[in-house]
Amino acid sequence: MEASPAMRTICATMRKEMIELRRNRAGLLVLLVMPMALVLVVSLVQDNVMRATGESSIPVLFVDQDRGSLGASVARALRASRGIDLIEAVGGEPLTEAAARRLVAHGEYPFLMLIAPGTSEALRARAERDAAALFEPARDEPGPDRPAAQAVAGLTLFFDPAIQGSLHAAVEQALLRAAAAAEARERGTAVVRLLARRLAVLGGPAFPAGPRLDLEPGDRLPPESDTILGLAQETAGPWPSRQRPTPAQQNVPAWTLFGMFFIVVPLSGTIIRERETGTFRRLMTLPVSPAGLLAGKLGAYVLVCLAQFVLMSGVGWLGLPWFGTSGLVVPPTQWPAAAVVALAAALAATGYGIMVGALARRHEQASMFGAVSVVIAAALGGIMVPAYVMPPAMQAIGAWSPLAWGLTAFQDIFVRGRGVGSVAPAVSMLAGFFVATMTVAAWSLRRWRSAE
Amino acid sequence: MTVDEVLRVRRLVKRYPGSAAPAVNGLDFAVHPGECFGLLGPNGAGKTTAISVICTLLRPTSGSVEVCGIDAQRDPVAVRRVIGLAPQDVALYTSLTARENLEYFGRLCGLSGRTLRSRIEECLALVGLEDTSEKRVSAFSGGMRRRANLAAAILHAPRVLLLDEPTVGIDAQSRNLILDNLRALRAAGMTLVYTTHYMEEAAQLCDRIAIIDQGSLVASGDPRALVGRVDGCANLEDLFLRLTGTRLRD
Repeated sequence: MEASPAMRTICATMRKEMIELRRNRAGLLVLLVMPMALVLVVSLVQDNVMRATGESSIPVLFVDQDRGSLGASVARALRASRGIDLIEAVGGEPLTEAAARRLVAHGEYPFLMLIAPGTSEALRARAERDAAALFEPARDEPGPDRPAAQAVAGLTLFFDPAIQGSLHAAVEQALLRAAAAAEARERGTAVVRLLARRLAVLGGPAFPAGPRLDLEPGDRLPPESDTILGLAQETAGPWPSRQRPTPAQQNVPAWTLFGMFFIVVPLSGTIIRERETGTFRRLMTLPVSPAGLLAGKLGAYVLVCLAQFVLMSGVGWLGLPWFGTSGLVVPPTQWPAAAVVALAAALAATGYGIMVGALARRHEQASMFGAVSVVIAAALGGIMVPAYVMPPAMQAIGAWSPLAWGLTAFQDIFVRGRGVGSVAPAVSMLAGFFVATMTVAAWSLRRWRSAE
Repeated sequence: MTVDEVLRVRRLVKRYPGSAAPAVNGLDFAVHPGECFGLLGPNGAGKTTAISVICTLLRPTSGSVEVCGIDAQRDPVAVRRVIGLAPQDVALYTSLTARENLEYFGRLCGLSGRTLRSRIEECLALVGLEDTSEKRVSAFSGGMRRRANLAAAILHAPRVLLLDEPTVGIDAQSRNLILDNLRALRAAGMTLVYTTHYMEEAAQLCDRIAIIDQGSLVASGDPRALVGRVDGCANLEDLFLRLTGTRLRD
């Protein structure tokens, strides 16, 4: 069966672009090897960095369902802690547990501190029981009708698995410090209350042998490890509690996007070369549609972007464990969603490359502008530094970066374990970006044609 | 347009946006089937603009162009099927071989399979590149590039071949071969519209010429008859300088 003229144009152009690409070894090196090197180096470096460091200013949603003294005490301690921004209302509305969990699950906030109802009361009861045991140890002995004291549950840290390890550790420590301060306050209060009651009746029948106040360490004080308040942790993704995604889950998609958008350099170069050598002029005098020529170019470079995605995923999956660090782990059910995002990102990156090539006058302009704009978009989009640690103004600008849309979608899949439905908004944004860039490119190429 | 005209340009005006004077100003000429028509003029005379309008790259400000009876403004795609362009630049992909370039442009012109392969062989043989067809164009000399440029323009056997200074900047041997090729194409019935700065070349090759300056037609007709009409002109170059002046056009 004879192929249609449009299909022949597309296939011929794709074939020609592939031959040119194959011969542009430096360009291929930039496209394929550089991102792989970035994945390896950055993942290996971050593997240590993420475990070892840091304090950072982090927004923490705070939902106090207890409404007792504990919540006030923890909130006070956290507010006093530098670098934690405690948020109790979003958009003017006080947070509910469900709303707050949703915000964290969608990656809009990294942490939720939840205090369950009755936690203050349980803490108080436990502190009073421990205080009483100081004076009457027999009362605290576990028995058939008196089980051993358990930690008071009620504090839960719900977190986005996409959060960096160092930041998670910082928030966890701040919460534990705040809980310990609240616990110490409750213990002290319980002891003072009990002492006051006992002293009030000093000498009476309550003290047949006189008061015992010899509170030496190692005697009846609880050991240092015996804290009353426990901190439960839950992740928003498919990961078991306290287990977190590996650096590869975050780095592979991030640097894949970065590499994909770097296609702007060779792609814009081919378009400008066509204008400089006069081949564009020749093409415009052939009986073919310019849309078919663009589609052929687009098809070839989208395939290159998808090859990048496959290669980078392969490096994350097989290469990183070979270097002794955790590799990329993606359940097979998540791959279709990842493929959809990869295709949308490939279209957006290729559209951007064609637009830059159509707008720029010279190859130097395109390569400089293209490369620098991608690095800026990557930085703003959270590829290099997580968006939530950026100043609010930068976060607002970064929200318009196509790399941010791609990263959010990939993190939803690789880190938060969500499906195709959840990435639809980001995929739509990437597709919209592709349409916009191709429209600008078509307009600009028409302008070049009439300037010939 | 009469049956003995393959190209008809009528009162053609092309003014670029922001430009004070039109690049082409009321150009009027016709080209007959199988003839070689030379479009001569100094730098900036409007030759390339006229070729660009004829080959549908540019839309005219006013006037009309008909190629093989097809209005270039109304049906540019149909015009593109019957024309071939050898542009002033060597419009080839330098990282592809000569054969790969011809395969690509041939496919875009609708050729495929055996027809494409045989046309490529014919064109490569015509321009003397059959032995170097597997070399990349980047490794070609200036003359080889010009010959490959011509091969790409005639691959689909166009009825009208537009040549924009096809021999500029090449060695004498390549120029001689290209001129021989053009004679052979004309002999085979192809109509040639040809711009050049080389008056001797035009005198040898062209059946008729049009000399244009500042976008307007200055003289047209058989080159020998035109030279003979003006006293003291020994050749076409003399006539050209007489009509367009000796002032430099940079």
